[in-house]
Formats: sequence, structure tokens, C-alpha cells
Amino acid sequence: MSDTIRNSKGMSDTPEEREFELRAHIGSIWSGGRLFIGMYTFLIASLAFSYFYLRSSNNGLLWRPNHVTAPTAFGWSIYSLMLLTAFLAIFGQRRLRKGAVADFQLAAWIGVFTGLGALFMQSWEYAAVPFYPGSSGYASTFIGFTVINIATIIAGTYWLETTLARSLRLRKELGGVSPQLSMHPSAQSFRANVASMAYFWGYLALVSTLLFAMFYLL
Amino acid sequence: MTLSAERPNEVEVYSHVPPASTGATRKKGRGWLSQHVGTAIVAGFLGYIFGHWLGNMISSGYTVEVNTGQNSIADLLALVFMVLGWLIGIGALNYPLAKLVGREPSSSTSSSAPTLEDDVGGEAKVDGELEGWSRYFRYNLDHKVVGLQYVVAVLMFLFTGGLLAMAIRTELLNPTTHVFSADTYIKIVSEHGTIMMMMASSVVVGPLGNYFVPLMIGARRMAFPRIEAFSLWVFVAGYMVIFSALPFGGFPTGWTGYAPLQTQAGPGMVSYLFGFFVIGLGMMAAGFNLLVTIINYRAPGMTWSRVPVFVWSILATAALLTLATPVLAAGGLFGLLDKTVQTAFYVTEHGGSSFLWQNLFWFFGHPEVYIMALPGFGIVGEIIPVFCRKPLFAYRIAAAGMIGVALLSFFVWQHHLFQSGIDPDMRPLFMLTTELISIPTGFIFLVGMGTLYRAKIRFEVPMLFCMAVYFNFLIGGVSGVFLSDVPVNVTVHGGFFVLSHFHYTIMGGLIFAFMAGLYFWLPKMTGREMNKKLGLWHFWTMFVFFNLTFFPMFFIGLLGQPRRVFTYAKNLQALNDFSSVSAFLLGLSFVIFVVNLMWSQFIKPKKAAANPWDSLGLEWQTATPIPPHNFDRIPVIMTDPYHYSEEGAPALAYFGEDDHVPVRSGSSTSGDGPA
Repeated sequence: MSDTIRNSKGMSDTPEEREFELRAHIGSIWSGGRLFIGMYTFLIASLAFSYFYLRSSNNGLLWRPNHVTAPTAFGWSIYSLMLLTAFLAIFGQRRLRKGAVADFQLAAWIGVFTGLGALFMQSWEYAAVPFYPGSSGYASTFIGFTVINIATIIAGTYWLETTLARSLRLRKELGGVSPQLSMHPSAQSFRANVASMAYFWGYLALVSTLLFAMFYLL
Repeated sequence: MTLSAERPNEVEVYSHVPPASTGATRKKGRGWLSQHVGTAIVAGFLGYIFGHWLGNMISSGYTVEVNTGQNSIADLLALVFMVLGWLIGIGALNYPLAKLVGREPSSSTSSSAPTLEDDVGGEAKVDGELEGWSRYFRYNLDHKVVGLQYVVAVLMFLFTGGLLAMAIRTELLNPTTHVFSADTYIKIVSEHGTIMMMMASSVVVGPLGNYFVPLMIGARRMAFPRIEAFSLWVFVAGYMVIFSALPFGGFPTGWTGYAPLQTQAGPGMVSYLFGFFVIGLGMMAAGFNLLVTIINYRAPGMTWSRVPVFVWSILATAALLTLATPVLAAGGLFGLLDKTVQTAFYVTEHGGSSFLWQNLFWFFGHPEVYIMALPGFGIVGEIIPVFCRKPLFAYRIAAAGMIGVALLSFFVWQHHLFQSGIDPDMRPLFMLTTELISIPTGFIFLVGMGTLYRAKIRFEVPMLFCMAVYFNFLIGGVSGVFLSDVPVNVTVHGGFFVLSHFHYTIMGGLIFAFMAGLYFWLPKMTGREMNKKLGLWHFWTMFVFFNLTFFPMFFIGLLGQPRRVFTYAKNLQALNDFSSVSAFLLGLSFVIFVVNLMWSQFIKPKKAAANPWDSLGLEWQTATPIPPHNFDRIPVIMTDPYHYSEEGAPALAYFGEDDHVPVRSGSSTSGDGPA
């Protein structure tokens, strides 16, 4: 038989192996973040397809009777809060890159609250919509959009909050060294995670703009 | 600048904790009172009760399901909280919740500084060192344990769906004397189809993909072991949700769930829609993790031109799982909103469209066909060079074919709508794209033929299954080309011809390939070899009776028998009876498989040789049993693993040990020394 190892002698990492694993780990966070955006794109594309499909079908002239629209005041406030959260996430990440950990933490704190604010407004909007969910194609896709948006805001805010919590704990674990300055693997992993999170929020800002235009302006 | 050069002192800090010193970690929280499948069942049950109560409370008196008296909000919330309880009970949410306060669980158990192991999955390795049976009943992060857990899960799916198939064939024994009512029959057909399709989407990716991809690319771990474990346990939860449709009265739509029947159906439809959603989550998680792992964790030297063809197939499949499944999730979500909060996505009378479901469903559904087919091709491509002792013919074309199939699969979904919501002028375009996809598929097939050409084949059980895949898939593929043509499609649509076609591709292709993979890799997975005699009995009965079951269905279909109808023309009874009896014997072949599995693995286990097939694959070169960290040293790959019988071929890999003999591709079938 051509097998070469009969029994394991136990793992003993060399420095090169540790570096290889760390690079793979950082690469995974990078590519995982981008892949997550790809998945989210297909989800949103499904919603957009449904919107335009029903809009162009206009079955029984019931796409949008009387041009009824979801409350634009809510729409603007949710959109603004999401843009603000995205701005804070990106700003915080850029400040972190320059070593200003406190700036990142402050931006993340505010970002978590603006994210929760968007979540609150999106939930509150249900009480204010002037149509029954099944009253038209527009009403149906709008309800679908709000459900997906709630899930998106929860996911994005969770990601932001966990990086904030990690930054607070990491400093203690690193013995007081700034996570930005340390070459410790935990710190490198943290920075990659923050970069992916900020990238995702930037993408969310773009998607929110598109969806806001679809559901509140068109 | 390397880590070691920069901070040499940290080498000690990051050094792996040897298994002997992790006793405290192993003991902590690992009793039967900690989280395991038992606590998951209890929590799932409690979640179900809570969800049902909550649904009734927030929407009391809100009867939604027509003629059932059921409240679909309560039905849905019961299932949602059941899944949530299940995940809490198994421990899937421990880590996400700990992250909210910045904790990384493994580092929190240690008073020392977090190590590289903690950050990049040391927990997976520590968990992997747990021994004994209990690890198979827990939320384990070792990809090899998850792979074996997946084997059990997909077999559970397969056998449940198989029993329902037996019920279908029993009903079709006679066109006038009925075992089931028409209503019950369609619900059995629907449940069979749904369970089988969901099983088939994960049957290779779950067990063999998770188990062998890291080993084949020379990785010590998965990129995201928690996401991998999540994919398994949510897959099992999805099984329970879909199965719950039966006690809820089933659903009458077939596995495709078409509206408006979907909208009119009872509470079982909620289980169908939510079950698809839940399993979709598992599929996305599995695909995501595998894709990221393959991209990032390939060992040094494992260039894209050296990646095993099985890994290529998993890469293409994972891309499809990751990108196509969100569309299914969205379609399922919209259906659930229609059922619960009374939106009208699929209700034409209220501004929706029943064709919208068809578009969303098939935009996922046709890539799904290749999610099922590609891993089968990968297994076969991996196995046949071993038994032909020849290099894989046109390796690059095989890889390109798989990527080509994956890409094209996004552009063919409209052929499922030839008879319904499509502009007739659009038909030729989608006929063309569908026919185009047969080109890369043909490449993959020809790669197999080229490998077999003039080979001295060893007809071991895995190889027999591979040969059967080519035989069956040829029939399934050619009938698929027929079906892509609009005139034929319009003529035989909705009949047994289509049914036979997709059974030939999915069961004849994928399930046979899965069996080939199991017989081939089980000795490595369990260290025990399968009984060859029983394996041969299993193969021949499965192959013969599979063909005797499904080939007559082409004729049954051409003679006009529709799918999903429990009665048929009297003159078709002889063919149907022949098919039914063959199906029962086909079922018997699976009994032989189960007997073989039980006998060889548990009752009379026989230790397998470390590399019983004399394969050059990297997965066979690691120690037996496979250590939790897979490789003592990360291998450096020097060539692809298909240089069989090539004199002077380079060694496959360097394992970084002086006393370790590098495998040479021209190695003989005997002897322990270098070839």
C-alpha cells in the first residue's frame, strides 16, 4: 500500500504554519464578507424581480390602485438612519485604521443606536401603513421588503455591535495594547472583521438607496 | 515579515495544547446534562408549544386556513420557535450570543492570553479530540464528525422518502382498486418529492464534501466550523419541519408547490414553505463555508490546476448553493407571508401572480438540478482514475465543464415554464440555453469515457457504481436533451416521461455516485471496510431494479399517463405493475445496503487497510485514524493526484518529515516503501 503515515505523531505548528493559518483565516473573513454580499444581492434581486414583475403584470389593474404609497416620512427616517449607520461604520473603520480606537468605539456605539433606531422605525411603520397587506401587488411587495429590511438591519447591527464588544474586550485580553497596533492574531482577525463589516454596511447604504427609491419614490 | 521573525517569544504562546493536557477542557460541561441532541429535542418541543400559544394569543380568532379552523400564524410561529428551540438546545446559539459581549468562547475558558488556536478555530480541534459516541450527538466543530453526522442525516431523509416511494408504487399497482384516497395519494407524492429533493441537495455536499474537502486540499480545518455545524443541525431541523406537513394534513402541490394551489392548501403548506426556507438556510451555510474554505485553505502548492476534481465539483456546487438558494428563501418567505399576513404575492386576483412563484422557484430550482448533479460527477471523476490506474483524462476540461455548467444553470429556468407563464416567442431562447448546457455536461461525460478508454479496470464495488452512473446518466441526459426541445416538452410535459428522466439523472446519477463515494471512502472515515460480497449484491440489485423500475416509465409517459394522479388507463396496468414490483425489489437493495452497513461497521467490523484502493488522493495520505488536526504538518503539494502508472512522476506532496515517505504517483499496489 502506498499510504505514508500510519499513526499521527501529534501536531506541532511551525511559525510558518501558524502564519499560513492566520493568512487563511484573514482571507476567509475577507472572502466570506464579500460572499455574504453576493448572497444578499441575490435575495434583494428576488425582491426587486418580484416588484417589477408584479408592476409590469399589473394584474386586474391592482398593482397600485390610487397610487397609494407607504408613509414617506417613515421611509425617509429609516433610510436616513441606515445611511447614518453605514457612514458611522465606515468612518469608524477608517479611524481604526489610523489607530484611533476610541473614535471607532464611539462611532460604533452611535451606529448601534442608529441601527436600533432604524429597526424601531421600520417596526413602527406597520402601524402606519395606509393599506391592507393583500390589497395590491405594491402592498404585498412592500410588506415583503419590510420583513427583509428588518432582518437586514438586525444582521448589520449585530455585526457592528459584536465588533464593538470585541474591541472593548480585546484591549483587556491584549494586556492594554490597542487592537489596532497589536500584531497579535486576535487583533489582526478583529481588524479584518471590522473591515468586512464596514464594507457590508457600505453596500447596505447602496441597496437602501435603491429600495427607498423603489418603494417610496417611484 | 513573518510572525516568528517579529515576535519569537510568542511561538510558545501559540503552540498547540497537546491532547493530554486538555483533559480539563474535555470534562467541562460535557456531561449528559449539557447541550446535546436530547436537550435539542426537549427545547424544540417546548418551542413548538410556546410558538403555537403565542400565535394564538396575538391573532386569536384569526382563522386563516380555509375549511380547517387552523390559525396559520400559530402554525408558523410554532415551527419557528421549534427550530429556534432546537438550535438553542443543541448549542448552536451559544457562540453568537457570546459574541454580543465580545467573548470568544474558547478564550474565555482560559486564563491565558487568547491564542491563535482560539481565534482561528482551535476549539474545533479541541472538540475534535473528544472521543466516544457522545460527540456525534452534539454540536461538534470537527468537520469529520460533522461529515459522519451528515451521513446519518441524509440516510434518514433517503429512507423516509424511499418508504413514501414504496407507498406510491403500491397505490399504482391497480388503476381501480385503491389503497389511498386521491387526496392522500397526492400528499404522499408531494412529501416524497420534497423530502427527496432536499435530501439530494445535500447528499454529497453534506457528508462527503464536509468530510473530505479539507483533507483533499491539505487543510487542517474548515474556514467557519461553527457555520458548518449550523448547516447540519438546521438541515435536520428542516427535515422535521417538512415531515411535520404529514400530521398537519399534508400539501397537495407536489414538490414544486405551485400557486394558486399553494395559496388554497391547508396547514401542511406552511410546513412545506417554512421547511424549504429552513433547509435553504442550511444549504446556504454549507455552501458558504465550503466555498470560503476552498478559496483560502488550500495547502501551499495546491494551485487551481492541482485541485482534485471532486473539490472542483464541490466548488461549483457551493457557488450555486450560495447564490441560488437565497432566491428560494425569498420565494418561501413570500409564500409564508401570503399564508399568514395575507399578502398577495401569488394571488392573481389581488394584484399578485401565480407565475411569480414559478419564476422564483425555478430560478433556484434549475441550478438545484446541478447542485445535485455536479457532486456526483466529482465523485466519479475522483474514483475512476484509481480503479483504471490511469490519469484523469483532460482534467482541465472536467474542471472547466463544471464551472460552465454552474454558470449556464442560471440561464435555463424558463424551460420549466414552456407550458405556462412565458411568452411563446421566448421559448426558442431558453430552448437554446438549455441545449447549450448539454455541451459542458458532455465534456464531463467524455472526460470519464477518455479515462476509461483502454484502461485495465478493477471492478471493485465503488467502480461498479461509477460505471452505473455513466450508464444511467447517459439515458437521463439524452432524454433531457429531448425535453429541452419545445415540441417534445409540450407533448410529454407533466407525465411519466419527465418523471423517468429526472429519476435517471438524480437517482441514477447522484445516488449511485453517493453510494460509490460511500463504498470508496467509508474505510477512511470509519477505519472499517465494507463487506464486498454484500456490496456486490447491493450494487447489482440496485442497478438492475433501478433500471427495471424507471425505464418502463418512459413508455408509460409516452402512452399518456400523467404524474401525481392515482389512477390511470387500464391498458397501462401491466407496465405499472412491472415497475412497482421492480421498485419493491429496488427498495430491497437498500435493505441489503443497510445490512452491509450495520454488519461491516458495527456487528462484525473488519479493520480496513490504510489505503485499500491504493489511491494517490491526499486524503488517503494522512494518518489512520485521521487525527483531529488532519495533518501533523501542513503538506506542500507538488503535483495533482492523478499521475497513476506514470514512470518518474513527481511526488504528490511533501509532508515535512524526514521519516515520512512522499507518495509517488507511479506507486505499485503493494509494499510499503516508496515506488
